Amino acid sequence: MLMLIKEKDRAVIREMFEALVRPVKLVVFTQGPVHLPGERPCEYCEQVVQLAKELGELTDKLDVEIVNFHTDKERVKEYGIQRIPAIAVVGDVDYGIRYYGIPGGFEFATLLEAIIDVSRGSADLADETLEKLSRIDSPVHIQVFVTPTCPYCPSAVRLAHQFAMVNEHITADMVEAQEFPELSRRYGVYGVPRTVINEETHIEGAVPESIAVLYVLQAAGKLNETEAQQLAAISR
Amino acid sequence: MELALSLGAPAEVYDVVIIGGGPAGLSAALYAARAKLRTLVVDKHPRAGALAMTELIANYPGVDEELSGAELLARFRRQAEKFGAEVVEAQVLATQLTSDPKQVITSEGTYQGRTIIIAAGALGRSGSIPGEKEFIGRGVSYCAACDAAFFQGKDVAVIGDSREMPDELELIVRFARRVYLLPRKRLDEEVRAQVTGHASVELLERAQVKRIVGEGAVTGVEVVDEGEAKVIPVAGVFVYLSGSRPTTDFLDGSVEITAQGCIAADPRTGATNQPGVFAVGDVTCNEVRQAVVAAGQGALAALAADKYLRRAKRMRQQWS
Repeated sequence: MLMLIKEKDRAVIREMFEALVRPVKLVVFTQGPVHLPGERPCEYCEQVVQLAKELGELTDKLDVEIVNFHTDKERVKEYGIQRIPAIAVVGDVDYGIRYYGIPGGFEFATLLEAIIDVSRGSADLADETLEKLSRIDSPVHIQVFVTPTCPYCPSAVRLAHQFAMVNEHITADMVEAQEFPELSRRYGVYGVPRTVINEETHIEGAVPESIAVLYVLQAAGKLNETEAQQLAAISR
Repeated sequence: MELALSLGAPAEVYDVVIIGGGPAGLSAALYAARAKLRTLVVDKHPRAGALAMTELIANYPGVDEELSGAELLARFRRQAEKFGAEVVEAQVLATQLTSDPKQVITSEGTYQGRTIIIAAGALGRSGSIPGEKEFIGRGVSYCAACDAAFFQGKDVAVIGDSREMPDELELIVRFARRVYLLPRKRLDEEVRAQVTGHASVELLERAQVKRIVGEGAVTGVEVVDEGEAKVIPVAGVFVYLSGSRPTTDFLDGSVEITAQGCIAADPRTGATNQPGVFAVGDVTCNEVRQAVVAAGQGALAALAADKYLRRAKRMRQQWS
């Protein structure tokens, strides 16, 4: 079979994966070999499975588990998976890092980074950001809509995933907008990256860490007065 | 099927990453490379920038033949590359200037540098079209690679005539049903031939854009065409305008900007308030916008970057 990851890139990734500390698992949700009546065909499922398997071959610290979305209800529920293809990047604990749709193009880099972060069990965020995120004590769901050809998108995805790593109440999804047109329509996605936080709050484009964290606080209802003013000044 | 996969930041770290391939940036590259620094220039386009657009340059010392700005730049570049500087063609989207190494995020990937020299020029736009900000992400876009696919089978408008517009248009026509092209000024013949080669492009050179209209999302562009006001119904608007303001939109907020929108830099070294970050050329709002001045500043900034990297007290001379 034709490899998705080129030989030259495999060597680079092997080297990147030398930074892995603890084992990581990619739990890949896909369709079964037999299509049930009424089941929607999943255009990229096969490729996502292959991509995950090829990554798994590059280090002994990365396991890949393939889950049938339609039949393995227990696993689907455990990871709260909504649609396929999906990948959960799981370490010692499940930090709530999800990929919906294929992490191709520019997004592939964010998958490699997420694997490394999860393996280390830490995210490289400013102290100020960590303090702000530590105030969040209720569920925050971040969905970052992307296209694989969008060069601005990875920074938004990476931030969302890093936020999820440092606070157990935060979960963060990359969503490939073209693969899930209904979802894109529901959230009015006409341009990417568009970040939707808890349904109501949204961010257009890629913004710096110090600003993104304010939107997350806003969605969680945890902005203090100064921060609220900062955010109001930005949104003007 | 082929799946393009980007691995993100290359592992290598440059000593100097220079943003901008004009006279300031390429002179900095020459001096940095000659100081044996690993040097990368990120250039948007060899024909973008104030000098590249100059048809004839007669006041650059030592160059007394008839030469266009673009030809002079090609010489600058050859000379810098001869000494080992690398040049990539990419658009800088964002920067992270407080980290070590510093990062330059571009349309072609992320580059890392221990120092950064900003020589991005002053062709940035000022102001916006009425309705533009309101509809960002709701039909207004600046990135065809990111967003063109959302307008599959729909009608869109392209406003402006910046250097990147023709390339962006190439992507947009793959998806949109009809493209109304609304440049601010008359297109030159080469660009005109390229854009009108697409059957789906309608060039409206006389129409003046008044505002972007919509309800929740973009529904049209209001124009005045031959004295008559009308709304062209479109679902998306791609904006490619340029102006004469310093190009600073990719900065991360860590570098001091003056009230005039220029990068505040020490005129002797190009040093900014951010250690290891230098700014030279038109982006610093020189009182005179001349290639020779920009080139001199570029050379100084490269030597200052070298001094910074060596933690030295003095700049090193390059005698030959």
